[in-house]
Amino acid sequence: METEIADIRDFIAGHHPFDLLPDTEVTALARLVSVRYLRRDTVLMTPGERVDALSIVRSGALETRDPDGNLLARAGEGELAGLRALLRGGLAVNHIVAIEDALLYQVPAAEFHRLRDEHASFAYHFSPTGGDRLRGARVTAGTDADASGLTTRRVGELVKREPIVIDRAATIQQAAATMAAANVSCLLVLDGDQLCGIVTDRDLRNRVVAAARSPQEPVAAIMTADPLSVPATAWLFQAMLLMSRHAIHHLPITRADGKPAGVITVTDLLRNQARSTALVAGDIYQRHDPEGIGQALTIIPDIVHDLVASGASSYAIGHAISSLADAATIRILQLAEEAFGPPPVPYLWLAVGSQGRNEQTARSDQDNCMVLSDDYDPARHGEYFEKLATFVCQGLAVAGYILCPGDVMAMNPKWRQSLTGWKATFGRWIDEPQPKALMYSSVFFDMRPIAGEMGLFDDLHAHVLKKAQGSRLFLGHMTGNALTHRPPLGFFRNLVLISGGDHDHALDLKHTGIVPIVDLARIYALDAGLPQVNTKDRLEAACETAKVSREGSRDLMDALEFLGLVRLRHQARLIRDGQSADNYLRPEELSSFERSHLKDAFTVVKNMQSAAASTYRGGMG
Amino acid sequence: MPFSAIHNLISLDLLRWWLAFRAGGGPLRQYYAADYATLDKPWREVEFLAVDLETTGLDPRKDVVVSIGWVPIVGGAVRLAQAGYSLVRVDRPMPGESAVLHGILDRHVEDAPPLGDVLPEFLAALRGRIPVAHHALVEQGFLDAACRSVYGLPLRVPYVDTLALERRRAARTGREVKSGEMRLQACRDRYGLPRYRGHHALADALACAELLLAQATYMDGKQATRLQDLLV
Repeated sequence: METEIADIRDFIAGHHPFDLLPDTEVTALARLVSVRYLRRDTVLMTPGERVDALSIVRSGALETRDPDGNLLARAGEGELAGLRALLRGGLAVNHIVAIEDALLYQVPAAEFHRLRDEHASFAYHFSPTGGDRLRGARVTAGTDADASGLTTRRVGELVKREPIVIDRAATIQQAAATMAAANVSCLLVLDGDQLCGIVTDRDLRNRVVAAARSPQEPVAAIMTADPLSVPATAWLFQAMLLMSRHAIHHLPITRADGKPAGVITVTDLLRNQARSTALVAGDIYQRHDPEGIGQALTIIPDIVHDLVASGASSYAIGHAISSLADAATIRILQLAEEAFGPPPVPYLWLAVGSQGRNEQTARSDQDNCMVLSDDYDPARHGEYFEKLATFVCQGLAVAGYILCPGDVMAMNPKWRQSLTGWKATFGRWIDEPQPKALMYSSVFFDMRPIAGEMGLFDDLHAHVLKKAQGSRLFLGHMTGNALTHRPPLGFFRNLVLISGGDHDHALDLKHTGIVPIVDLARIYALDAGLPQVNTKDRLEAACETAKVSREGSRDLMDALEFLGLVRLRHQARLIRDGQSADNYLRPEELSSFERSHLKDAFTVVKNMQSAAASTYRGGMG
Repeated sequence: MPFSAIHNLISLDLLRWWLAFRAGGGPLRQYYAADYATLDKPWREVEFLAVDLETTGLDPRKDVVVSIGWVPIVGGAVRLAQAGYSLVRVDRPMPGESAVLHGILDRHVEDAPPLGDVLPEFLAALRGRIPVAHHALVEQGFLDAACRSVYGLPLRVPYVDTLALERRRAARTGREVKSGEMRLQACRDRYGLPRYRGHHALADALACAELLLAQATYMDGKQATRLQDLLV
């Protein structure tokens, strides 16, 4: 007998983790469902009660509270309730109450356990710690490995502006004037509204000037007639193959109706290649002013987009994007030394904050400082370094790295000190961890040398690491600071659910997800005296020491990578839509897969924050 | 509860006893022989069977059953594991309009079992349970006619009618009922129940069963709603 109810099967199949089950299992499961209706304020279970079914919320909402009454979660349509009870042998651990009239699809416990036994991917979703699941999340998310975008993007996406065109009856002189006015190196020639030819800078040189042809002749006489073109829907690799096979640098793009849509150049294609950070860095070193460097860097959003599309890790992307900030800094320092002459005493330029950690994902605020050799004499050398630092910081601002609102920049004399001065400054922060000192510590302890006398870095870094290592008071206060950023409880419908029952409309991925992990990693590293500054590197190194459990550090690394990728994907989406990238994710953007893994990541962070609180703040209140 | 309903039930019990005696062997006899809940039982202790028929029209004398779906309510929950559904063979051409409505074409129904083969399964599922339908007169009329034609005996059983419950609720609040407000989905909407695609006998039986859960839950006071409160 056919007793399948499509509405129920489709609903279950459409929600994570049931989407991981084969169709036949979901169909069989849908046939076993019991349907229950709870009026608002009705109790579904209380601690200690036997629970023999997993509830899937079909409509309405449930709320879970621990035995002390603290809010743990809210479940809306498609979400589960009673899971913890089933994983604890069928005894309810928490209170679950309907907060709206609710219709529940209940799956028998035995069937739930059988599905876990027989389907590894389904079981995976219910493993007791979130870490295991997060490890699998990147793989399951299914991004392919095309690192260039050549097989995933279409040429139409590269067309940035309307093509510059001229009628075939126009003169060569008119064509050249049109190109000059539009500042383009190539011009499309039209017959009516159809493409009939193309003229490039090179044609003007070779076929007009070198051939002593009159500029009053028709442009049709010198154009390349019936040029190769591709439709806007062609893949990038098709365009690339065509251009390299025929050794052409300009390729007209046509619309479905045959009218020209634009022109792409070899540079456009190269720019689209993810690996081109090296090319961009090369470009930066060719530039002679901060404006030019800024132009070279406008490609950063495209690079982020392509790297995300190609499945790169957030670790790799952070390094790639930070390397461009490094290149810009080095080039502007070169320009500064060209302008002001060689330095009177050795100096070192340091990146701190996210650039220091190699965790930039965009052109953000600049955070930097300078260490000067102990031969530095303010009276004699002060003016030089002030000019140099100001030139570089202002130059970086022109290039798109806006001035740090907190004034953490080498152009601020406070952050341009001798080696001895810096050692004293760090010493004060560690010995007297006042709020400001802690704030600075969280920025300056993430330092990385960019240019200058590297010996200065080794000396300073070794000194401060030794001083901070095992410093209970300082680490205790740093931990207190780290605990000010708390991850949310999870999601409820299109809201972010915050401890205590409040909600936000958007998830601040940076402050409630990534920053807490960065802060914890810094504490472990400083406690162990580790030289690493990148968060993942710190976590990896810290688990080799006894400062954090292997399990805990692995979970944090996975949470960091997952949160990082969710943030980057969000930013790539914004970039693709022509908006500027931010850190605010609206829950409606999230798939049920992402939601459930984000919840896992929050759980990992919360657990590790509690562990750090008891390790570093025991007795500090 | 109105006096006439109690009166009906008492006489119904006697009638059923007599019908069971007359029915001889077979599914109808077994059906009549089973006890079912007393009127004062809290609804969660009563077993119900939500049933929905798709028919060629509304007149049991002229029209026929095309498909039947049922699903029980046991312990206050709808149990899909015990749901049933079948197409029913139709020996005459189906009128065009309703065939379109149900999405059932003549050729589907030709391969289906005849009513006489489907009915025993349905009566087995109904044993000891109170049937529930939305606008129960239709189900009542057609199922009674089916038993008469197959077994030569009527199907006498009290129905819970979710539409009648909804009408009574509206009357109590003194609200005027507008057209369309008593449709199954419209009633479900008022309890926040989800939208199902509908026009499939089993899906509609489920939709009706869920509506009864919501209605009975809403009627719960200090004491749970009793069976007698649901028989309008």
